[in-house]
Amino acid sequence: MPSKKRGYFFVLDAVLGLFVIAMGIFIISTSYVNVPQLTQVSLLADDLLVFLSNTKIKDLNNPYAGIGGQLWKDGVITDADNSLLQQVGEFYATNKLDTAEKFVANVSKDIVPEQFRYEVWIDGNLIYPRNPAAEHISSKNNTALLLTSKKLTFGIMSRTTSSIWGPYKAEVFTWEG
Amino acid sequence: MGGVRKTIDFWRAKKSGFAGMGRKGIFFTFIAITIMAVFIIIFTPQSGVSLQKNSQALKTRIGSVDGYVSDLESSYFETVLRATTFKAVLSLIFYVNSTGSYLTDFDSAFSEVMVTGRINGLPIDSITGKKIMENSTLTDWNNKIISTAKDTLNVNTTITIINVSASQSKPWNIDSRLLVNFTVASNVAEWKKSSAVTATIGIEGLHDPYYLVNTDKAYTNQIKKSTVEFNQWSIEKVREHLRNGSYMYWQNSDAPSFLMRFTDSISPSGCCGIESFVNPNKITPSDRIESYMDYLFWTHKFAGNCTQLYNITGLWDEFKFFKLDLGHMAKYNITSQYAVKTC
Repeated sequence: MPSKKRGYFFVLDAVLGLFVIAMGIFIISTSYVNVPQLTQVSLLADDLLVFLSNTKIKDLNNPYAGIGGQLWKDGVITDADNSLLQQVGEFYATNKLDTAEKFVANVSKDIVPEQFRYEVWIDGNLIYPRNPAAEHISSKNNTALLLTSKKLTFGIMSRTTSSIWGPYKAEVFTWEG
Repeated sequence: MGGVRKTIDFWRAKKSGFAGMGRKGIFFTFIAITIMAVFIIIFTPQSGVSLQKNSQALKTRIGSVDGYVSDLESSYFETVLRATTFKAVLSLIFYVNSTGSYLTDFDSAFSEVMVTGRINGLPIDSITGKKIMENSTLTDWNNKIISTAKDTLNVNTTITIINVSASQSKPWNIDSRLLVNFTVASNVAEWKKSSAVTATIGIEGLHDPYYLVNTDKAYTNQIKKSTVEFNQWSIEKVREHLRNGSYMYWQNSDAPSFLMRFTDSISPSGCCGIESFVNPNKITPSDRIESYMDYLFWTHKFAGNCTQLYNITGLWDEFKFFKLDLGHMAKYNITSQYAVKTC
């Protein structure tokens, strides 16, 4: 091969190598970024906790837990300004654990997609579901990705005496299963 | 041998500025390798993904702690201040009841009870015999949130109470104010803040310390707001008012406020003076030469001065010996047919 043309050969070789490497980088980076499950479950845990802590009883349209609903009529819920999370905390503080479980089940019914499972804990105690089924426990134990979102919650037990409950750690666990 | 020849050619070519050299390949190869190295550094996938991951994690973490800081500032301190104010005032009423004497300085007593649950260095609960301030002082509540925040969010919170005080700007409420500095430190960021928090509690239902001290606990009267409008008084409404032991607020009156009733500072309150009638059936002796308006009765403003007093005979069937001064007779619309001069 004439010496004048060797340079072009080297450049062509290098460009070809560069192309191969660039393709490799592209394929690898694409496979790294596409982890949709992580993002989805993580957002779900945060979203559920944000929903519980930002939605007030007075803003809830629910025949069981909202204003004018069953718990309101029975005098179990008295403060419409409580957030849903505060109401769960109040039920826990007043030892109404069954009501707390039913309350969480009702308000979160249409919030969490069916393919996901979740748990709500207050102050280190499982509130929802209170007695998880074996399938639920097994699913939690075997999941590859269990995510949690945490927040502090507290509230007023009686407006007359201004007595307080909490502060408690509120935790939501979510996973696919 | 060939390699040595190439090297010699290269240096020879370099000296002559490559211009005359036929073998430019190695030069282009160096350029190509440099470009490749730059591309590899820029597009290395691991570093890109890791950065994105870290920034998302940091964002979430900072958001969580920021939410906690906002809750602390906008809600927790206010809730705790309101609850502790109620308990501190209640404890001070029981303290006055237990000791049978006024507080020497309401502000310092209130602040000490709020922060430490003590009064003059002694636990107030041990003096009153009621567990009201136990685990319920501002310091206790601050410790609780510090501990829970550490457990929940792994943050270190420091809270320093600068000042806590109480006053009245309305007759039926007590306003408490808390000045606090706090720091929240996490592994990613630190928040340093000062906060001025106010809370308001109602006084209705609380016992009037003025009655407790002056009757040595024999006569207690709970604060109850009268529902009668200032221009709607009549002898029958006065009877009801006396029966209920309720309180009335008049603008620009000489009556003391609720907080002034904790100390022996019975003077006109600019904003918040409230007054009630002393029920003659609940004191011994019932017949005294006094105006039975509470703050005048125990300051003895009209003591022995029967010429300025009137027997409210219209109520003597139920409240015998009940007397008032002319000023209060006019305020409560008690006409001459229901009153005769005491002497």
